[in-house]
Amino acid sequence: MNFLNLLAADPAETHHWLLPETAEIIYGGIASVIVIGALAKFALPQFKKFFAARTERIQKELDASANDLAQAQADASKIRTALGDIASEKARLMADAQAQADALLKDGRARLASEVADMEAKADADIAAAAARGSDELRTEIGRLAGVATDRALASVLDDATQQQLIENFIAKVGAGR
Amino acid sequence: MSDARIDGYARALFEIAHAEGTLDEVEDELFRFARSFESNDQLRNTLTDELIPAEKRQAVVESLLGGKATATTTQLIGMVVGSGRGRDLPAIIDKLVQRASSAKQLEVAEVRSAVALSADQQARLKAALANATGKQLNLKVVVDPSVLGGLVATVGDTVIDGSVRSRLDNVKSRL
Repeated sequence: MNFLNLLAADPAETHHWLLPETAEIIYGGIASVIVIGALAKFALPQFKKFFAARTERIQKELDASANDLAQAQADASKIRTALGDIASEKARLMADAQAQADALLKDGRARLASEVADMEAKADADIAAAAARGSDELRTEIGRLAGVATDRALASVLDDATQQQLIENFIAKVGAGR
Repeated sequence: MSDARIDGYARALFEIAHAEGTLDEVEDELFRFARSFESNDQLRNTLTDELIPAEKRQAVVESLLGGKATATTTQLIGMVVGSGRGRDLPAIIDKLVQRASSAKQLEVAEVRSAVALSADQQARLKAALANATGKQLNLKVVVDPSVLGGLVATVGDTVIDGSVRSRLDNVKSRL
């Protein structure tokens, strides 16, 4: 019986137009029980299993996410620590470099001052030596010129009479010597 | 040159002059030539230059001494210079003078004077030096202008210096 037939049926008939036939209810009820039972027997475990697996997968994903988060936080902490170490190492290296630069600068200044002092002392000594040498040379030259002048003056003074007198004096002195 | 070779040359010159019978004169001429040789750089360089042929050096000696010294003296000096021993000429001649003096049992007395001495002065000087040293002397007078005035006498190791030069040097050293 189709739906049109139902609508066309006479409501005055014994069977109510809205309610199904009793047998139909029984068959339908049994069929429904069978279908529901089959579903409960065969489909429900599959659904349960599916949802359990899904729940487990989601839980795993949540756990993995939590682990990843923890790992990320740990890595971030390590990075922050490393950054802190790098900063302190950088500061230490800068301080060492500054100290070395200061020491080098100090040594360089001291060496430069020493070298300048040595050069000044050497220059003073050279100047003094040159002055002394010049003085000595001048003295020697004056002595030489004085000697030449004296020789010439004496040669002009020592005339023949004086020469003869010197010779006679020598002979007399040697002769009286013994 | 070794002393032995200088002695050899001196002995040869001595024997030649002695054999010629002109030892005193030759000895005196050689002595004066040796002093001139020592004091004259140009003469010394010319007579000792090995690059100048021996004949030319001997010709220089001949032109210098020819007519002024005895032939024996000129020939002896020419022989030494020609043999390439000019550099040792003073030493050879000094040895010859010593040998000649020793032969006469005399000591060489070298006197340097700024001016030439007369014969009388030489005789009196020789007597005075002999009196002072107690030795018989062979007097050799060298005219040396560097003495300036007075005399310097050398007898063996004894030097009697009465020169103006030495007095002047003393004054200079004091100054």
